[in-house]
Amino acid sequence: MSASFTADLDAVARPWLKSLGAAVGGRARAAAWWLLADIPAAIAFAAGLALAVDALPRGLFAAAPWLALIAISALARGLIGARAVRAGARAGAAAKALARRQAVASALGHAGERRTGGQVLTAAVEGVEALDGHFARFTPNRVAAVAAPLAMIAAVAVASPVAAVILLGTLVPFGLVMALAGMAAAEESRRQFLALERLSGLFLDRVRALPVVLAFQAEGGVTRDLAQAADALAARTIRVLRVAFLSSGALEFFAALSVALVAVYCGFNLLRLLPFPVGEQLDLKRAFFALALAPEVYAPMRRLAAAYHDRQAAEAAAQTLAALPAPAPEPEAATFAAPPAIAFRAVTVTYVAGEAPVLDGFDLELAPGEAVALLAPSGGGKTTLLNLLLGLAPLSGGEVTVGGRRLSHLGSIAPAAAWAGQTPLILPGTLADNLALARPDATREELEAVARAVGLDAVLAARGGLDAPLDERGAGLSGGERRRLSLGRALLKPATILLLDEPTADLDAASEADLLPVIAAAMRGRTALVATHSQAVAALADRVVRL
Amino acid sequence: MTTPSPSPLADLVRDQRRKHAAGLRLAAASAAIVGAASVLLLGLSGWFLTRAAIAGVAGLAAAQAFNVLLPSAGIRLLAILRTAFRYLERLSGHAAALRALAAIRPALFAALAAAPPRQALALSRGEASARLVQDVDAVETRLIRLSTPWGGGAALAAGVAMATGASPWSALVVLVAAAASLLAARALAKRLTAQTGPAVQQATGELKDALAAYAAAAPELRVYGARARAAAEVEALGRRLDDLKQRALAAQGAILIVQGAALGLAVALAVAFAHDAATPLAAMAGLAAAMALEGLGGLAKAFEQDAGAQAAAARLDEVLVHRPGPAAALLPAGPALRLGGEIFAPGERLAITGRSGSGKTTVLEGLLGLRESAGASPRAAFAWAPQEATLIAGTVRDNLALAGVHPDDALWEALSDAGLEARVRALPRGLDTWVGENGERLSGGERRRLSLARALLRGAPWLLLDEPTEGLDAATEALVIERLARRLDRTGQGLVLVSHRPAPRALASRELPIETLASSRAIG
Repeated sequence: MSASFTADLDAVARPWLKSLGAAVGGRARAAAWWLLADIPAAIAFAAGLALAVDALPRGLFAAAPWLALIAISALARGLIGARAVRAGARAGAAAKALARRQAVASALGHAGERRTGGQVLTAAVEGVEALDGHFARFTPNRVAAVAAPLAMIAAVAVASPVAAVILLGTLVPFGLVMALAGMAAAEESRRQFLALERLSGLFLDRVRALPVVLAFQAEGGVTRDLAQAADALAARTIRVLRVAFLSSGALEFFAALSVALVAVYCGFNLLRLLPFPVGEQLDLKRAFFALALAPEVYAPMRRLAAAYHDRQAAEAAAQTLAALPAPAPEPEAATFAAPPAIAFRAVTVTYVAGEAPVLDGFDLELAPGEAVALLAPSGGGKTTLLNLLLGLAPLSGGEVTVGGRRLSHLGSIAPAAAWAGQTPLILPGTLADNLALARPDATREELEAVARAVGLDAVLAARGGLDAPLDERGAGLSGGERRRLSLGRALLKPATILLLDEPTADLDAASEADLLPVIAAAMRGRTALVATHSQAVAALADRVVRL
Repeated sequence: MTTPSPSPLADLVRDQRRKHAAGLRLAAASAAIVGAASVLLLGLSGWFLTRAAIAGVAGLAAAQAFNVLLPSAGIRLLAILRTAFRYLERLSGHAAALRALAAIRPALFAALAAAPPRQALALSRGEASARLVQDVDAVETRLIRLSTPWGGGAALAAGVAMATGASPWSALVVLVAAAASLLAARALAKRLTAQTGPAVQQATGELKDALAAYAAAAPELRVYGARARAAAEVEALGRRLDDLKQRALAAQGAILIVQGAALGLAVALAVAFAHDAATPLAAMAGLAAAMALEGLGGLAKAFEQDAGAQAAAARLDEVLVHRPGPAAALLPAGPALRLGGEIFAPGERLAITGRSGSGKTTVLEGLLGLRESAGASPRAAFAWAPQEATLIAGTVRDNLALAGVHPDDALWEALSDAGLEARVRALPRGLDTWVGENGERLSGGERRRLSLARALLRGAPWLLLDEPTEGLDAATEALVIERLARRLDRTGQGLVLVSHRPAPRALASRELPIETLASSRAIG
């Protein structure tokens, strides 16, 4: 699993994150610039400290300007840090907005049989949120972790070239160790991160199934399962961490070593007791400056290590986000003056290559204006067939023609179709807004007539007429009322094709009977395809076809 | 059922901390050594350098008289200590925390199962369940960071000690600056969470709800050309969430500014107050003050996380007050069923009828005690196939195992009676096939039949079936009903059925209109 996971990371997640970063552009760089702006402030702080210590024997007055420099440069570092945080937050928000747009387009452009709903939803909300740290902290810090140590060493070189060489000398083995141990550690800690995610997922799943767990009195067994999974994860993780923490040990080692070496070298140089000639004679301010700046060489890498978790979270999320299906493109609109004939010939639909097709060699011909009811076993592909006409399901084989022309040449027939789906769409706005989606130029009288026809007038009276406010969750409309609204739209739309998906599912016989005349009215004068389980609905059609 | 303790989570964590005390103590001690060593390393180096500079200027004799071995050995020792104990701190701290954490999720689940149904089920749905998971994560982060204060504290102590060597005033400056920096960071972090925490949560929930509603209606969005409008609505909600989060980060920036100012003033003043002392001591005080205050940065970060973790802990406490009772056994033989003032003998077959949305499902959930607390658990008398056909993420076998431990023969028999045997036999790994989250690798009808098989497997006196054949075609429906009738004849189980379809209602010997069922129902 780990090998393929790493391959996925290289092939999918990282390039995806990279292209997202490129799209964010300047904002991503702003945070890095602010982190680099910290370098002169750090140098000023070290210089202030060295000069103040040097001047102190000459009295407080002589040291005062340098003491002020210390206070001011430290405050400047705080201010710059705050700006870096803000710039990072902006970069994170920009990246999230882009990623969210893609995820939302995918969620809204793809639907149907595949129940990707929950997964897409999690990706578009939690997954997008997990990208934040990568762009806000990790990426800017990665730039700083490369540039800042070299800049600090260059500043040290001005005071003491030998000390600078010593610092550079610790940086080389550190880089080698990180390249070896760091990679292994990164892989291990990535696996540990995923394992934790999985445990969280398991817990969440069992919490969501709680009603069933309770009803089956299975709480004891499920609790034991969770405890076992958690214990196993802890034991495995601890083994993994022994390796993973080697890299943080190495970071600490070289950070401490660099300070110790600089201190000992400068001390012996000042004492003029070095056993070999180095070609430079230091004084206190230069030596002290080198020492005060030495810890800053490894500090950016320490900050990068702290942001590593952000990167893992983003990579895990990126894998899901990159794999989201692209939304079906919006092709040109086809229109039909009269109800068209629709023909399916040897139609095959396979969602995932290698899996059994949902539809296999399906044939059906609808004459112009004919109403056909589709009766099929569950999972038999009724919804898929309707989605196929709207370009929301892939045509893997065979052909579909509408009005004698191939669907692939026609563009989208969506503008010519009226549709009522299983989960009716409700947009924030009034009831009138929602009905008028089907025909934006409909008059108030027409809207009222349609509302009456589908039996929504009771709601109208109780909730402020056509101006009753609705939110996207339907604001208290019952399942039956949503279906009525959806049918109302289908009635209102001046379309020559009618597509209904289970128009009376979840309704009892009496409620269904109320809607039958509405459905019959909607079929009139249109080529209609109705997927249903209901014999009563099927009886309204000119012909019944079993899949 | 409840304990008087104000915070059961704190109790649980304390128990776990006691259990893994050795590891946690090692982590804390290591953190303290690392924190102190970092400060001492730099302070000692500063003193050494300054002292060496003075001796060097004074001439060769003075230089040779200066004992270089002790300080330079000390510097090397501190460097090694820092490395070794950093590794030890991280490993022992994480190991102990992870072992302790393994206890939290199971305990939380057990408490959730023991909580009054109204509270527990409200937390098991949608946004609330996601928040529960985030709350556990927040509490975990805090546990893993238990050693942070020790490191910061030791760094501060070392800094104060070194500054004292120069001047008591320098030491006081370091202490005051540290206190001011920490208090300000804590106050800012607290204000931040109070201001933006709930708003962020609400915005996240609204974003999710809106997206879910639109995603489910994708074909309609397409037909009515409303896709762009819906996407814009969702993006606007997303932007609002991003804005809130950016505002939250502004407070983090303020903390950095306060810390920078405190550090600068502390170092400048510590050196200034040390001007009477020997210069090497002043140098030591300055460097030690800088390192000590920098060492507090980790603590300030912990405050930020803490402020969030406190709210999380409070929410978890509301659940954890419930202690699981003893496991109840399944009733072997049928008790009579009291429903709407009538008493039904074991083995009767009833159908509850009524219009959509008239509360039929609610009656079943009421029987199961999923609506309000029922004293003695009535669940032992029932096997339930819910309307949503909820499955757990796992294999076919895992799902059936909720109904208890059964031999494979019994599993296949139940699957056969639910009309799903052939399908499961055709699956690549049979009973051990992974069905995905909430059975998403199965079709709607297959999920429903697996849920039915699970209910059949639990040999309870009464079967509660909620729309057991919704989404099945007529042929499958007929098959399932025929086998169900045979199974009921064989087992003598009672049946309470809710269905708007006529075919399954043929199983029932009596129809009960929903209007006749008052709220009084229980097992008699």
